[in-house]
Amino acid sequence: MTATLLSASTAGAGHGTPQFGSTTFIFAFLLVAMIACLALEEKLHAKKSVIVGLFAVVGLLLAAAMGILPFGDVMLPNGHHIAMPVFIPAIDWGVICIIVGSSIFVDVTSRSGLFTWIAIKVTKASTGDPLKLLWYYGLMTVVFSAVLNNVTAMIIVGSLTGVSLKKLGRMDKLLGFLIIEGLLTNIGGLLTLISSVPNIIVGNAAGISFVKFFIVASPYVAVATVVTLLMGAKLFGIDRLATEDEKKEAAFLVSGFDENDRIENRGLFFFGAVMLLLFILVIATVSVLPVVKLLGMSFVALAFALIMLLCYKHEVDPFYKAVDWDLIIFFMALFVVINVMEHAHVLDLIGKGITMIIGDGKNSFGTGALLVSSAVFSSVTDNIPLAAMLAKILGAQGVESSSALWWAVVFGANLGGNLTPIGSASTLVAVTIIHKYKLQMSFGAFVKKAFPYAVVQIFMATVYVLLLMQLLQAE
Amino acid sequence: MPQVDQFESVFRSAIRDVFHHADPGIHSVLVVTDLDAAGAGAFAEKVKGFAAVLGEGEDLDWTVVTGDQFRTTEELQILIERESPDLICSYRNLHSRAWRFPHSLGEHLDIIVQRVPMPVLVVPHPEAGRAYEHALENTNVVMAATDHLSNDHALVNYAVKFTEAKGKIFLMHIEDDAVFERYLEAISKIPDIDTAEARESLAAQLLKQPRDYVNSCVAVLGEAGVPIELKCIVEFGRYLKQYRQHIEKESADLLVIHSKDEDQLAMHGLAYPLAIELREIPILMI
Repeated sequence: MTATLLSASTAGAGHGTPQFGSTTFIFAFLLVAMIACLALEEKLHAKKSVIVGLFAVVGLLLAAAMGILPFGDVMLPNGHHIAMPVFIPAIDWGVICIIVGSSIFVDVTSRSGLFTWIAIKVTKASTGDPLKLLWYYGLMTVVFSAVLNNVTAMIIVGSLTGVSLKKLGRMDKLLGFLIIEGLLTNIGGLLTLISSVPNIIVGNAAGISFVKFFIVASPYVAVATVVTLLMGAKLFGIDRLATEDEKKEAAFLVSGFDENDRIENRGLFFFGAVMLLLFILVIATVSVLPVVKLLGMSFVALAFALIMLLCYKHEVDPFYKAVDWDLIIFFMALFVVINVMEHAHVLDLIGKGITMIIGDGKNSFGTGALLVSSAVFSSVTDNIPLAAMLAKILGAQGVESSSALWWAVVFGANLGGNLTPIGSASTLVAVTIIHKYKLQMSFGAFVKKAFPYAVVQIFMATVYVLLLMQLLQAE
Repeated sequence: MPQVDQFESVFRSAIRDVFHHADPGIHSVLVVTDLDAAGAGAFAEKVKGFAAVLGEGEDLDWTVVTGDQFRTTEELQILIERESPDLICSYRNLHSRAWRFPHSLGEHLDIIVQRVPMPVLVVPHPEAGRAYEHALENTNVVMAATDHLSNDHALVNYAVKFTEAKGKIFLMHIEDDAVFERYLEAISKIPDIDTAEARESLAAQLLKQPRDYVNSCVAVLGEAGVPIELKCIVEFGRYLKQYRQHIEKESADLLVIHSKDEDQLAMHGLAYPLAIELREIPILMI
């Protein structure tokens, strides 16, 4: 339905031969200003939702005054017309519902003690050996980032890292652990269609299924994870324990962790575990499940959230409060801004620029350049506007779902976050935890430490996407 | 970032202090008296009977110091350094009649307890007549007391060492309710914190850690096959009053406490009042 509503609302935009007049450039300036403000979010001391919300309000007022918005009723699939404010159909409610549903589902499941149980089990399995711990925490970061969202994964693994390294008397290794984990969240965020917001946006726009996304992304995620961990262990000097006494002492210290501490109700714990597996299974197979495929992934996310909420039916308020409303309102405002930009032909203008880079979408240079430029752009500002804009532009240009260009955007938008501490919310969380432990880490110092990893990851991604392109073209 | 703090709290709470069982290794005992040879010998025999659990014959080397071997604290200290025992056993107010006034340990013990690294077993004064009837008979019931029972392996290990087979150890942790109420009064004036919730959560958390540690002690000693029953007394109250009540109720034969505080020259805050006022049973000050 969202697609129908969107197409109705954009009916006036026109995709024939766009005319780039002064209106287009005024709105292009507005878009650049919004992106600059997002990049300076920390300096402005303003939340994303407020920044983009303000630009959405200004954009709508300007667009309405200039007469470029298609006011009028919206046509429903059954042919009925419905009156609706012009900005409501502009929002991709499918994406919003997936994010709201998944975050409530994960939050309630987390209350069962499942994620802390896994995290502590992993810690104990490492027997306190720093190198083993790095590998186990690294793999856990990737898996959690794939299943949860990157920020939650970083919060769980990062806070556990601080506590366990303190317990083991290995605080000298904390900086290395947190940086590597921060970098791995963005790699784990590539694993599935629902692992990160750019994946959801691009995947939805391109019509890539959950299973196909996983099959294409997982080989890269596996290799990039191993390479990052090998580099991390080497560059941060994280080694195995040398003597038997050290091993015995470390094993004794980690044996003190009790994985059952937070499990208040065994039944709920097992229910949470089963529901999590079921959630992944249903999301993975949504496109082939009868009836469910008609309702879509957003329905699945909301339905699972509701089922989990039944476990706490008398006290659901804390879970509603825990929803990241800044993120949700940010998305809603962002979709409105992008819709306005579409009507002002700004997306056509950007699309023209992109066409100059990517050509017909079938040459290696263009695809590689799109990936690298997406990464560079994502490193200085939020990757969501980038993903949303590029998805819209590629969609409008009729790029096929099998094209490697979609993957160039996905890889670039996700991995760009590893170049700077402000490039992604999860690396920002890593830096926040670093500062919490009074470790010195300036913007420049982070870039210096993270740069080798990010360059290797982006290089590997470029090679991988180009190989993928050859493969897809051969098909 | 509140969520980081929330998860850190979850993981910190999941850390259990695991008891590390180890024999404190007592092979030599120095019995310090201010008595003549006969009196010192009799006193030493009494102590040997009381501490029979430590070992007999060649396992344990007993040295008895008589009153004429030292007079000043310096002389006693030199004597202790020369003998270098694993345990000192003595009583309050050496070379003094001040034992009639229950207000100090006496100049010798006041200093020795702080200056020497080995534990000091302070027994009721032989002349004071304050000891309970069961005191110095055996060590069937031992109490280990602290205001922070967590990772306190030495305290528990000494208690285990001094407890006879099939005996009982009471691990006591008393949270000062006056201090707790003072903090809650401050919390009650902070609008952002729910006072009732804070009272419940804080009380539960304060008692959880020592209880977890006692559970760990029970598990570790059980695995090691130590034939001792371990009991847990973790509660809110007033230190002295509560300790005395439990000692009397359980007819404790020995109280084990910490006396040294690495942050200060003075004796550990809880140890001094206990050592001064609980004169009826032996106290092991480690």
